[in-house]
Amino acid sequence: MESLLSGQLLFAALVLGGLYALIALGLNLVYGTMRLLNIAHGDLLMIGGYGAFWCFTLTGISPLLGLPIIAAITAGIGIALYFLLFRNQLSSGKPIPQIEANSLLLFFGVSVVTQNVIALAFSATPRAYRYLDDVYHIGQVAMTGNRIATLLISLACLISIILILNRTMFGMSIKALIQNRDAARVVGINVERVQLTSIALGFGVASVAGGLVSMAEQISPFMGFPFTIASFVVIIMGGLGNVFGGILAGFLLAFIEIYAVALTSANMRSILLYGIFVAVLILRPQGLLGKARQS
Amino acid sequence: MTKASMTHTPIPAIAATLIGAILIVSLSIFMGSYWTVVALNLFMWIALTQSWSLFSGMTGYISLGHVVAYGIGAYLVATTFKIIPLWLSIPLGGLAAGVFALIVAIPVLRVRGPYFVILTFGLAELVKFILLYTETTFGKSSRLLFGAPKTETLLYWVAALAVVATLITYFVGRSRFGKGLAAVREDETAAETVGVPVTRLKVLAFAASAVIPGMVGGLMTMRSTYFDVLQVFNPTISFSIVTMAIIGGAGDARGPILGALFMLGLAELLWSTAPQLYFILLGLFLIGFVLFAPNGMIGLIKRRKRSSAGVAS
Repeated sequence: MESLLSGQLLFAALVLGGLYALIALGLNLVYGTMRLLNIAHGDLLMIGGYGAFWCFTLTGISPLLGLPIIAAITAGIGIALYFLLFRNQLSSGKPIPQIEANSLLLFFGVSVVTQNVIALAFSATPRAYRYLDDVYHIGQVAMTGNRIATLLISLACLISIILILNRTMFGMSIKALIQNRDAARVVGINVERVQLTSIALGFGVASVAGGLVSMAEQISPFMGFPFTIASFVVIIMGGLGNVFGGILAGFLLAFIEIYAVALTSANMRSILLYGIFVAVLILRPQGLLGKARQS
Repeated sequence: MTKASMTHTPIPAIAATLIGAILIVSLSIFMGSYWTVVALNLFMWIALTQSWSLFSGMTGYISLGHVVAYGIGAYLVATTFKIIPLWLSIPLGGLAAGVFALIVAIPVLRVRGPYFVILTFGLAELVKFILLYTETTFGKSSRLLFGAPKTETLLYWVAALAVVATLITYFVGRSRFGKGLAAVREDETAAETVGVPVTRLKVLAFAASAVIPGMVGGLMTMRSTYFDVLQVFNPTISFSIVTMAIIGGAGDARGPILGALFMLGLAELLWSTAPQLYFILLGLFLIGFVLFAPNGMIGLIKRRKRSSAGVAS
């Protein structure tokens, strides 16, 4: 029982919470503005992980400094996919449920292709590197440098995105599009530009999270899926399209996960994750924290 | 006119299905053990995709968790192997899958659209991890199954299930039941308003679509001679089913057959030499069909027929 109150678990939960919040934020932006369900979201994380890995092992440049380049690459992938797959779907005037269902299938195709292209290029063997793994002690809590960096960077990204959404004209137009698509268009928001930025931002943020994950964990072409599921749990708990609800839910899920695993066993982790997922969908599909207004 | 009246008698369809299945079974056995396995896989995918189509193709509720039925059947057969005879345990596996679907149907089917899709997926994974936990807790992470039936015997049974699944999809499509399910797909609220018993139809189709996959799972676990939870609940199976149904075309009994033939052909060409390339192409085909031919190969064939008929008249 004593260990539950220690700072060690709290720190672990905060690090994981920051990651979950960041990953889910990307998924939420893409869903909120375009109603696209990106089940390839975790694969962007995987791409970010590989980017950081190659950046560090080939050039010796800190993966942290490589993050902006990695984010730019996946943002580019997002923009390319937007034009190749989704632009016509979005402007076709199809009903939203159909766009959602199609996007799920299309992103599934994207996911399969991405995983196997990476496996073909870099083999399916898991890889890892050591970076910032010195242990620091603050009070009783031992933490590695890379986890501290992960927490700080994810918090910095979250705060800057919240500031952009709340304080800039452009951020507010993203929020407007999430809240009401037609009204946003009526008041003169350039919907296409907002959608493009959202997909670029959402994809970029996911790969930043992937770069952070790769500092502490092994990477492999098929590592993305659990992250996809976790981010779906988070955005459904937070209310689909509700950006701030999603951030809170990210930390909530991380705390539940870390403390419940500490109480039971590591084998329970997946049961717990999927159990929460199924329960939330069946009991409160509108989210624990209420729903963003639907258009 | 003659064409239209022909499609209204079911006899040619039944005859074609039976003759096709018998031809493939006997030809593959004649050509040796490699082709027997290929035929077994073909019939397995046809049976699974037809069953999927019975529910998801007709109602438009896309299930990404169909592997759960397959896995439950396999689990029941593997755990009772040498305790209950196979002729009994395999139908019981189908029954268990159907009962499971029936139990979860009411809460799960209240969820609609994309939520339903990801929910079915999550549910299948949840069952997988619960069973995995149970198996490891009892120290049985995998079970060897010695003395399983010969591949030929399994082929007869799986082929029979594929024929039954095909005919069920075919007849349900023509029945009142099928019309009700199609009404759910078109506009569920409207269907309910005009008195279609929406919930009952959905629950029934959902449960029915799990029975044959349960039996197929039981038979296929005999083929692999050992049982591993992660293998029989592999989500790739669900994804493959959906991909085949989309490529072949759902909502028509010929669609899943075309989809299974296509995927197996691609697998034969690439699986042993370049498995990654196989998945890459499969993904690209899925994207292509969703974008350009949402009704699948069967939709393309129908469109071509219609346009050539239009030119002739």
